[in-house]
Amino acid sequence: MQREEERKMIVCVSVVGHQNNPLYIQSFTDADDALKLHHVVHCSLDVIEERVNNPKTTLNEAFLGLLYPTLNYKVYGYLTNTKVKFILVTTDLDVRDTDVRNFFRKFHAAYVDAVSNPFHVPGKKITSRTFAQTVSNIVGSYGLN
Amino acid sequence: MVEPVNSSLGKMLLEEVSPVVMVLCTPLVEETFLKNGLSFVETLKPFCNFSNIDVPVRTSGDQLYRLKKFTLRLFNAADIRQPNVEVAKQRLEHVITQAGEKVFHDLESDPPQITDILSNSESEIAPTWFQYYNKELIRTLSFSDHEAFDHPVACLLVVSSKDEDPLNKFVDLFNTNRLPSLLNDGVMDPKILKHFLLVHDNQDATTERLTSKVLSEMRSTFGNNECNLLCTNSSKEGNVEHQANPWASFKSSVPAEKLGCALTGDDIGEIKELMQEFASRHIIPYMEQKVRDLNQQISATRKGLRNQIKNLWWRKGKDDIPDSTKGSIYTFSSTESQIRILGDYAFMLHDYELALSSYRLISTDYKLDKAWKHYAGVQEMMGLAYFISDQSIKEAEYCMENASSTYMKLGKSGFQNATRCGLWWAEMLKARDQYKEAASVYFRICGEEPLHAAVMLEQASYCFVLTKPAMLHKYGFHLVLSGDHYKICDQVNHAIRTYRSAISVYESTTWSHIKDHVYFHIGQWYAIVGMNDVAVRNMLRVLDCGNQSKSTQEIFLRDFFDIVKKTGMKHEVVGLRLPIISMSSLQVIYEDHRTYASQASALVEESIWQSLEDDIIPSLNSGKSNWLELQSKLLPKKYKESNVCVVGESVKLDMEFRNPLLISTSVTSVSLICELTENSDDLKLEKETSSLSLGTEHNQVTTSGFSSFTLSEVDFTLGGGEKKLVRLTVTPSEEGILKIVGVRWELSGSIVGVHYFQSVPTKAKTNKAKRKNKLTPTDALKFLVIKSLPRLEGSVDHLPDKLYAGDLRYLVLELKNNSESPIKNLKMKISHPRFVNPESHEEELTPGFPDCLKKGPEQNTVQRETSRTSVFAFPKDVSLQGDRSLRWPLWLRAAIPGTISLYFTIYYEMENVSSIMKYRTLRMHYSLQVLPSLETSFEITPSPSRLQEFLVRMDIVNRANSDSFEIHQLSTVGCRWGISLLQPVDTILPSKSILPGQGLSCFFMIKDCRKPGTEEEKTTSILPSQTDIKLITQDDDEKLFDIVNSPLASFHESERSCHGTSDQLSPNTVDFILISRLAKSSNPSAEQDLPKILSHHSCHNRIRSSIPLSWSLDGPKTMYHDFSTSFCEIKLKMVIRNTSDGFLSVSINTIDGLPDAAAPTPSSGNLSGWRYVPAITEEMKLTSDVMGSRLGKPPPSMESSPPFIWSGSSSTKVQIQPLSRTEIPLQISVFSPGVYNLCSYTLTWELSEHENALSSTSSGICQGYPCYLTVLQSE
Repeated sequence: MQREEERKMIVCVSVVGHQNNPLYIQSFTDADDALKLHHVVHCSLDVIEERVNNPKTTLNEAFLGLLYPTLNYKVYGYLTNTKVKFILVTTDLDVRDTDVRNFFRKFHAAYVDAVSNPFHVPGKKITSRTFAQTVSNIVGSYGLN
Repeated sequence: MVEPVNSSLGKMLLEEVSPVVMVLCTPLVEETFLKNGLSFVETLKPFCNFSNIDVPVRTSGDQLYRLKKFTLRLFNAADIRQPNVEVAKQRLEHVITQAGEKVFHDLESDPPQITDILSNSESEIAPTWFQYYNKELIRTLSFSDHEAFDHPVACLLVVSSKDEDPLNKFVDLFNTNRLPSLLNDGVMDPKILKHFLLVHDNQDATTERLTSKVLSEMRSTFGNNECNLLCTNSSKEGNVEHQANPWASFKSSVPAEKLGCALTGDDIGEIKELMQEFASRHIIPYMEQKVRDLNQQISATRKGLRNQIKNLWWRKGKDDIPDSTKGSIYTFSSTESQIRILGDYAFMLHDYELALSSYRLISTDYKLDKAWKHYAGVQEMMGLAYFISDQSIKEAEYCMENASSTYMKLGKSGFQNATRCGLWWAEMLKARDQYKEAASVYFRICGEEPLHAAVMLEQASYCFVLTKPAMLHKYGFHLVLSGDHYKICDQVNHAIRTYRSAISVYESTTWSHIKDHVYFHIGQWYAIVGMNDVAVRNMLRVLDCGNQSKSTQEIFLRDFFDIVKKTGMKHEVVGLRLPIISMSSLQVIYEDHRTYASQASALVEESIWQSLEDDIIPSLNSGKSNWLELQSKLLPKKYKESNVCVVGESVKLDMEFRNPLLISTSVTSVSLICELTENSDDLKLEKETSSLSLGTEHNQVTTSGFSSFTLSEVDFTLGGGEKKLVRLTVTPSEEGILKIVGVRWELSGSIVGVHYFQSVPTKAKTNKAKRKNKLTPTDALKFLVIKSLPRLEGSVDHLPDKLYAGDLRYLVLELKNNSESPIKNLKMKISHPRFVNPESHEEELTPGFPDCLKKGPEQNTVQRETSRTSVFAFPKDVSLQGDRSLRWPLWLRAAIPGTISLYFTIYYEMENVSSIMKYRTLRMHYSLQVLPSLETSFEITPSPSRLQEFLVRMDIVNRANSDSFEIHQLSTVGCRWGISLLQPVDTILPSKSILPGQGLSCFFMIKDCRKPGTEEEKTTSILPSQTDIKLITQDDDEKLFDIVNSPLASFHESERSCHGTSDQLSPNTVDFILISRLAKSSNPSAEQDLPKILSHHSCHNRIRSSIPLSWSLDGPKTMYHDFSTSFCEIKLKMVIRNTSDGFLSVSINTIDGLPDAAAPTPSSGNLSGWRYVPAITEEMKLTSDVMGSRLGKPPPSMESSPPFIWSGSSSTKVQIQPLSRTEIPLQISVFSPGVYNLCSYTLTWELSEHENALSSTSSGICQGYPCYLTVLQSE
């Protein structure tokens, strides 16, 4: 029963600026594990950096794929052209690639909407309530189709 | 990359995978060596590592090679067993605790910087005790049953010469009963090399002869080569001190000086030689031999195709044997064990090829047997062999991986082995610079036990730093994880150490959630170990935790204050972030020559005051001297940049405090930090003192009892997220230089927050040029304190804040100078002279207001001097001093509705007080809300019948919201215009008062009473005094208000100047003053503040008409003539007046003819000058209709009038100057008596801008209007 609930669940999404400063981080769990998820997201920055700075391979798409398999989570990354990173932490251990790609595409659109707001200061945290709502909608619809 | 042999793993393997020598000795031997504080094994241990033993070795092949480095491991027989798990655990814990105690003292220092960490090499980053810990960890697995390298290769039997019957002792020692169980169980081969050693104690001189005898006996019994003598303890006194004590690194519990104190250099040399010989002459050859034997044996049984197939078949048959028996199925004599021993011996003899081939051979066997532990052990050794022989890296890693996962599969029992395997694997990866992979290996072997996990995580974290490029995020994360694990096992010191390093990662980031966690916990832990001050320092970083949840914030604060309390002292914290001070909100309010009557006036923009004070302040720029000289005279150069304030007068600072938390915080004792330095003439000296006092200034403030200034203290509570503007003051009590350095406050009585306004000293030298233009923030907080000066205080009494437009009030300006020195030369300027008018002399009103305004019995019609400047200078003799206050009357009249800011500035001069300040100004600011009341508009049109009279229509609308007004009086201003009623007052105002929103029109007649300068026209009967009419019916005794005298006149004057723009010159305008008052019943509640009278001024009302001229036909109205004698000639006079500004030319054409044609048509509306204006009210309409019909309809008698003829010229043309008039004589001839209408003429006019202009701007024709002449037959 519990397994069924956990089956396809995003526990955390985050937007990290190009100086590795958190712009938006939101966990979707009931438990008080925000700190843990912050750490997981923070750590996966290393992996993104490693991938981006790897001279052998050139990135030809924004989607970075699986970054960081931990015991309970899988961490996926996405890098925009402005070097803003999106990080997704999920408990779904057999993730379909298309689901994640879909998610990031929608998330990117939401992010672009949020930073297009003239009152948003670039490089500052995203405080838009609309963005939060959109994100939670995207998270809710993740893996349904 | 280092050579595998020289890498740390290579060294480790050399040490750990080396032949074991079992030591059996008698108690007396131990006793002998305990004199040195060491056991026998310990004594020999330092001499078991041979860095250059140089022994030729030949194992399986024909090739001979030389062994360079070699190590022996010595163990007491009792220790040759698998260590107890619990004991081992305790030992490991002890290692960690000890290391923790060592680091304790480093913890106070600041955390390392991330750049330092990155630039350091591995050995500097990772604590040294890791090596030791790892070694201990590996040792817990020694003498395991599935490996052979811990099997004793040789046995050293030691007997003291003091023993009784030493030969028997030797035999006894190797009694099977006393041998370790492993040898007896058959796991290890009991048939090993034996070596016999006789120990002789040189301190025991008596047994010397016996010793040599025993030795020779031994030699004869056990063989010459296998026996040795060791003489020891040559130093009789036992106080030999060794430079570089060889035992120090092995035994740390005893002071190093004591170790080996009875051993002389010769003794040590002898031990060294003994061990060297033992290794090279006995052990290595023995192993060599054994390897060769085993190899031969195995080649015979297992090598070759036949043997392999046989083996395979045989093993298949064993498939059904359960593997629950574990490793015990293999005894030392089984083929598998033999191969393993061969491999291990070959490994120990550095013949890795042979070792690998043996391992490979055995690993398949074990795999087939499902003896997983053995299999893993062999895989592990294979991996190591691959590594150390610098062969395929891939193979090595594969083997290690395989070994590790196989161990892991075994569950708990295999975990320790997996750990060892992991440690070796990690070392292997590190040696190949694969730090990231090493980290993941460390992570794999964390296990469940927290202490173990902590150490492994910490090691993993250092690997992340060493990765190129460094993975700092993971470094931090693993440190935090490790710290948490340490904390679980109460290893607080280590927990602090790891978190301290983690801080360096998170310090500069914006990941506040993580940061808060790290700082908070490290703070808590510091408190646990008793370093409360460091704890507080770390906790401070958490206080600004606005992003945390409320409960978290509460926990943070509670713990923080608990720790602070524990320290038992007040902490002063520079840059405390609770509450946050917004520097942009900082506002300094101080008074130099500008003083302010109230707070509101201080907040007014300076430019408003400056523009107001422009013409009363003595200008610096005026005068003969140029501005440079003057300024330097006024202020010494060095003070130019600082502000000036006066002793005893406070400097105020407004700043905003913001609470970043969700919980309310109480802030107490908020005060400024200031320093007041002596005002010395020498600039250099002054600078020195100020910089000196910066250091000590704080003490000065805390003990500010006798300080040279007083500070205000403020307490307040900030709710969650609240902002508060707080005013702090400092009042200097001595002259000098006052600097406001910062602000300090207390949090819950234990933490003192300090905020310095400008901690960084400004670059004074570089931007000198800039300074001239603007003050730097520090300059704004620096004051030159000058000695006490008189300061004028002032207020306007009874100033209402809400009043109706037109409201006239009597106010008193009260000025007070509290100091003894007098002030003089007072001047005042008011921003709105329309609103406020000072009385010209200081006196109380005798009859009281508003009666004083009414006309007294004796009329003073003397015109006031109207030319007044906007600056009001108080009389010269006014000087203020001491307690006396000056009460100066003021008149206030609300001129226009709206919100009005009134600014008063009073200039005054001090006598001989200060060279820096000669004058001061007092600034007062009041704001008024003026509500709309009555609105009047006037329309004046020339009267149709009389040239000097005009009709006035007054429209009044009450714009007030709730109050109704009564009209009291209407006056014309000046003596020229007389005013009279057209209707009785009652009909104009039937309801007496005008209700809100009501409009009203009424009509008056005004008459120009001026004597025309050029003509002799008799003045009308209206006296100049009849310029006022009363518009109230009741209170007949009520006097009219005097509009000629102050203040109404002066207000009118300012109204005039306000409205009057260009047509000031035009004399043909009328000014009206309507005086009204609030209807008595309308607002009984607000008795106090009721307006007494309201005056409404309407200026420059021009007489309006559609044609630029007016005329009248003057002549006798009734004539008596005797028609029997002649016809009657009547002289008439036409007066034409040019009412326009232009030049008018008029031609008069008289028409003789039918009266019908000349008769005016009522519908034409061309009725002389009167023009009907659409009315607002019903009442008005009625009136106008009546008037219209009256005027329009000629009397019936007119129609039957007999004709008359115009005599004289029939056409006359005249030029009339602007606003002047002319008279034209006319004459008619009448032939019979009757009533004649003299309207048969037309006036054709042309108006032009200039005299003699060719083109006219407008022109027109006017019909004559009826004028009746009655001619009667005279008797």
